[in-house]
Amino acid sequence: MSSVATTPAAGEVVGMSPRKRRIIKALDIAGLIATIVTFLGAIFWAFPLYWALVTTLKVENDIVQPGIALWPQRFTLDAYTHVLFNTKIGTWYINSLVTAGSVTVCVVLMSALAGYAISQLKFPGRRILWWVILASFMIPIPALIVNHFVLISQFKLFNSWLGVILPQLVYGPVTVIIYKQFFDSVPKELREAAKIDNANEFQMFFRLYLPMNWGITTALAIITFIGAWNQFLWPFLAVTDEKMMNVTVGITQVTDAFGVKYARDLGSAILAGLPVAIVYLIFQRKVTEAIMLSAGIKG
Amino acid sequence: MADIRLVNVSKQFGTVRVIENVSMTIESGEFMVFLGPSGCGKSTLLRMIAGLEDIDGGEIHIGNRRVDELPPSERGVAMVFQNYALYPHMSVRDNMSFGLQNIRMPREEIAKRVAAAAKTLELEHLIDRKPGQLSGGQRQRVAIGRAIVRDPKAFLFDEPLSNLDAGLRARTRIEFAQLHQRMKTTMVFVTHDQIEAMTLADRIVVMNNRKIEQIGTPMDIYTRPASRFVAAFVGSPAMNFLPVQQISDRDGMALVKLPDNSEIQTNIATAHLPNDGQLTLGIRPESVRVDSDGTVSGKSDVIERLGERTLAYVRLADNSVVIAEDEGMSRLNVGDQVKLSFDGGSAHLFDARDVAYSAAG
Repeated sequence: MSSVATTPAAGEVVGMSPRKRRIIKALDIAGLIATIVTFLGAIFWAFPLYWALVTTLKVENDIVQPGIALWPQRFTLDAYTHVLFNTKIGTWYINSLVTAGSVTVCVVLMSALAGYAISQLKFPGRRILWWVILASFMIPIPALIVNHFVLISQFKLFNSWLGVILPQLVYGPVTVIIYKQFFDSVPKELREAAKIDNANEFQMFFRLYLPMNWGITTALAIITFIGAWNQFLWPFLAVTDEKMMNVTVGITQVTDAFGVKYARDLGSAILAGLPVAIVYLIFQRKVTEAIMLSAGIKG
Repeated sequence: MADIRLVNVSKQFGTVRVIENVSMTIESGEFMVFLGPSGCGKSTLLRMIAGLEDIDGGEIHIGNRRVDELPPSERGVAMVFQNYALYPHMSVRDNMSFGLQNIRMPREEIAKRVAAAAKTLELEHLIDRKPGQLSGGQRQRVAIGRAIVRDPKAFLFDEPLSNLDAGLRARTRIEFAQLHQRMKTTMVFVTHDQIEAMTLADRIVVMNNRKIEQIGTPMDIYTRPASRFVAAFVGSPAMNFLPVQQISDRDGMALVKLPDNSEIQTNIATAHLPNDGQLTLGIRPESVRVDSDGTVSGKSDVIERLGERTLAYVRLADNSVVIAEDEGMSRLNVGDQVKLSFDGGSAHLFDARDVAYSAAG
């Protein structure tokens, strides 16, 4: 009598009960549905961006034609050349770079120092200070706009970089909390070893605690920079002089000066967002890390 | 190199006293080991010497200088931590240089010291690596290197071997002994491992319950324990303890009776023993032999064959268990009836307050 050896078909799981097979099949279907839904969501989200980009490459006459043209009939870069050469977008970029860069450096440095002090130093009022920082986290920023407006007005800082930068420095409590949590997690023996190694507080901060995890600082700096670059409301209120405008505020002038020109408006919006998109693409992982860190705090 | 003097040092955390009036002198160049169970206060005492814990009472002197008011960096000590506490983002070289850079030592001198320490500890090929790229033993050596470059008056080691596996621990123990012989610097070493204490120490401080139980050389501690705690804590397997009655003295030495009425002649002067109260006989397993001519009978419960010797856990008539030794090739089996002979000359007696009485001499 001869026996015939059978081999399982590809993908078939040997020795699996029918019930288990049914469950796996169900999971596969669920995965497929999730993929389709996510894909549709991505299209839904990305379509306006695509539409804006395509519109900037169209001739203005084609844009206002009825119907939906998903692809330009005639390609042109007129919108970009116009925005680049006939507006102050270069100055606006510099203003944005200076203000967003300054906000980033100041927020990160102050938050790191505050987080370090609250986490590692013992001083009277430490707990109260911590509660104040936590409490400031609960106040919505728009609620402070009037106060900021009055203060900046009294200090005569309208239409200046400082006037744009200073009120944005209060956006740091999340950063302080993240730093404090990180510094709390550093083993206390490192601090003790540093004490025996003659390190003072500044040496401990700048040579040990801060460099110990540049990843956190990089992530927080990137997300702070993106936030500061994208700020609109405060720079819009604090600056009326076109030469001092940030790029986010400046692009509104393109519309005012030249009437409604969809390609130019969208072109300036795309140019305004381009640096942030580039920063995001370069530091994608760090940005995601930073969002996860702050999401962890915000719950 | 300097001596360390502690005078009536006390410490409490909140309402809990963790060190009570501790006084001792660690001689210059001595290797002193603080030995005791977890929570006895030995690490706290070390940290108080280092300046990482403030003291609530007493004085600490290093050399001729009172240091208990000084910050850790000004006490002239170097410390090696249990988890090494290496700076994770710095290379081995930077870890060793950090302390010297902070006191603004010239670069050439730093480089010279680091190179010398790296050579001594065979770290030259690892000098540019970061701690995360090193094994446990290598990290340990870097931590020692970081201490050595400071050329301290005293080294403080807080359970530095406890994170190593058994084999590496034994090797590193020998390296510590060699290091001390080479450097001849005062070293204070905290451990709960009696083998580390016995093999490394010039003297051991046995601590229990916030207090010093005994200070002495390893052999002093082993052969003449000051209390029942020390007798039980030092030695592996642990000392046997049996309730006894003193029945008479012979030439001034106590003769005691076990619960099964067998008698043991000790070398302990009766003049020192309390007149009343319960006594406990303490005798190490190597002084209790399995012997067909022995006077004490029992039944073997457990047999441990260690190769060069065999340990027999023998249950006596009163149900107490005695650990006895037999030769390595012993044919003893579980359940066998055995006879034991006690070497009463090396036995100890403990009174109701656990104070020890040992043989004279």
